[in-house]
Amino acid sequence: MKRALTNPSFLLGAGIVLLVVAAAVFAPALAPHQPTAANLRARLAAPFQPAYLLGADAIGRDILSRIIFGARISLVVGVASVAIAAVIGTIIGLLAGYFGGVLDAVLMRLADIQLAFPFILLAITVIAVIGPGLWKLILVMAFAQWVQYARIVRGQVLSIRETDYVQAAASLGAGHARIVVRHILLNALTPVTVLATLGIANNILLEAGLTFLGLGVDPTIPSWGGMLADGRNYIERAWWVSTFPGLAITVTVLGFNLLGDWLRDTLDPRLQT
Amino acid sequence: MKKRILALVAAAILGFAFAQPSGTLTIAQAQDPQSWDPIDTFYLAWGMIGSSIFDGLVHRDLNMKIGPGLATSWEWTDASNSRLRFHLRQGVTFQDGEPFNADAVKFTFDRLLGPEGAKGPQQANYTSIDHVEVVDPYTVDFVMKSPDPVLITKLAGYGAMIVPPKYVTDNPPETFNKMPIGTGPFKVTEYVPDDHLTLVANPDYWGGAPKVAKVIFRFIPEPSTRVAELQAGRADIVQGVPISLADSVSKTAGVKLEAVGSPTVNALRFNTCLAPTDNLKVREAIAHAVDAQGIIDSILQGYGIPIASFQSSMSLGYDPNLKPYSYDLELAKKLLQEAGVAAGAPISIDVIGTDATNLEVAQAVASELEAVGLKPTLGTHETNTYYNDLVPKNTVGNLYYSGWGGWTLDFDNTAYLLYHTGQFWNPCYSNAKLDALLEEERATYDQAKRETILQQIAGIEHDDLIDLPLYQSKNLWGVADRVQGFVAPADDRNDLTNVSVTN
Repeated sequence: MKRALTNPSFLLGAGIVLLVVAAAVFAPALAPHQPTAANLRARLAAPFQPAYLLGADAIGRDILSRIIFGARISLVVGVASVAIAAVIGTIIGLLAGYFGGVLDAVLMRLADIQLAFPFILLAITVIAVIGPGLWKLILVMAFAQWVQYARIVRGQVLSIRETDYVQAAASLGAGHARIVVRHILLNALTPVTVLATLGIANNILLEAGLTFLGLGVDPTIPSWGGMLADGRNYIERAWWVSTFPGLAITVTVLGFNLLGDWLRDTLDPRLQT
Repeated sequence: MKKRILALVAAAILGFAFAQPSGTLTIAQAQDPQSWDPIDTFYLAWGMIGSSIFDGLVHRDLNMKIGPGLATSWEWTDASNSRLRFHLRQGVTFQDGEPFNADAVKFTFDRLLGPEGAKGPQQANYTSIDHVEVVDPYTVDFVMKSPDPVLITKLAGYGAMIVPPKYVTDNPPETFNKMPIGTGPFKVTEYVPDDHLTLVANPDYWGGAPKVAKVIFRFIPEPSTRVAELQAGRADIVQGVPISLADSVSKTAGVKLEAVGSPTVNALRFNTCLAPTDNLKVREAIAHAVDAQGIIDSILQGYGIPIASFQSSMSLGYDPNLKPYSYDLELAKKLLQEAGVAAGAPISIDVIGTDATNLEVAQAVASELEAVGLKPTLGTHETNTYYNDLVPKNTVGNLYYSGWGGWTLDFDNTAYLLYHTGQFWNPCYSNAKLDALLEEERATYDQAKRETILQQIAGIEHDDLIDLPLYQSKNLWGVADRVQGFVAPADDRNDLTNVSVTN
């Protein structure tokens, strides 16, 4: 822990993530305006003035307030989609790796099929059929990403399964459930944690991208990707409309990536000196 | 030497006199109507291109004046106005060489009014015609089923475009949909759906060969991309410049911005079958909560005109005395309370997502509804799905965007199609009194009487809040300086015969 506090990437990453989480949790207290309240007279108000610190968008909504509230969407999408994908992927990976044989073959071929679909194509098709929406977006991402977790867990399980302590537990008469949960799962979780942290960053970006394309959340809900899209027509006249949400995305993704990198370096024994 | 100069001069004069169509004009427009069959469509996007491929019996010019088209003259043959006789232009051929004559006219209208036409949205516009009779090869009689005071105007566009009988009969419907043939000044040579359509000049056009040899219409739904293509010189004319980019276009060197007041009006229609907008009080509350003037001043930057009815000021039936609902938040809140709508009641709004201005207007409306205590959600859709699927099946929200062309410049076209019980785009609203008025207005050629009835209809529309009219649009076109002779059409129907390009 002491090492962590002197590690610059941990400090910066954790700091940014904490800031974003705080913005999301305390959004109503922090935001100076209602994020959805239009004020037509403040259309495209310039930034750096007391009323609109980061300016206003095309229908006069405060950009700072929308960025603060937008943190909620980004975090909910990032965390929820990764959590669902990780849980599904871990269970499948455990089953495939531990039991092997036909079950392994079937599950891994399913994973291969899933990997053959480019994500954006899959997302566009699914959303075109079921319609856009926050939870649908999360499910589409989770559905497309469980494979990564399943594969990494399966690989771990394959090696852990052969270790002496697992063999010992089996000889002592432990059941499958006990072996899988107590002896294998807990030891296989390290890479999942790292992957999940990096996955959150990735999915925040994906949400922004899909909302930018009009496949994400309802346009009235403040979302960084949606704000970016709203501002693209005004790039020449009002740079602030898309620049600030763009910065919010960049910084948040950077934060999660730094944290993920640090976790990987710390938890992977082979990288420790 | 002298002889040679003479020869050159003669060649120059001859060359001038027989100027060949030359140059390529590239036009970018937002929407691809997908089918080019005149009876399948109601999109202005169809008219933008269809007006170059097809002709009607009558022609409406860029000043919105009606004149001869494929018919040189017409008159009623009887005092009771039941037979309208058209004298057809002779020596006209379709672009594939098929002759234009009375049989082609009869074929066109038999098809439009028969089972083939029943599949599309255009038939409803022409049901006043009972049938067409061939008198001689160049004379036809329209036998009327019921009086239709807008008939002549309607013969100038869309469903009344004359189609070639042999080409249509001999080929599967798909062929005509994708490679249409008409008598117009340009012929289709290539169509790649959702990408582009190529026209070449028809040198034998009865109105004289066009000046430009080739016109490429590119379909670019994304407005900023359209404008970027114009600024980069990859498009010469761009339709539908969004207001957000108007400044940027007028400041670009080599390009100018043209604004033309259009018959298109923009409204939010109410879904009167879906709670809570089935309640008139709720609709009134919403009408008072929306600041249409504020939207025009800010989001539209003045490129819009306030309206109180779903028609433009050019339209017969427009009533200057009808005023939009006042912007009054307190009254709106009070009305909602009276209607028993609790704070935070959900209200759904559906719009077409590809239009930046619509999206901004819808978000402003959503924000205003939130201000009076409702909880709006906004759904965005793609144009074709929206008008062909969601609206006819009424799977839309409480409020849904509608832009209506009203190309006949007569309120009948909007009011009948949107308010009369059982119409394709009116799956929900029904009002016996309104139905009766609509039928009465269609039954007379007395335009003064019609105007009174249409104004009454607009009054009912306003009082019963069938829809919430927001503004009449001004269409913005971006035109490169290399284009000469282009006039931005008020009704979106391009006339490109006099347009030329320099390199």
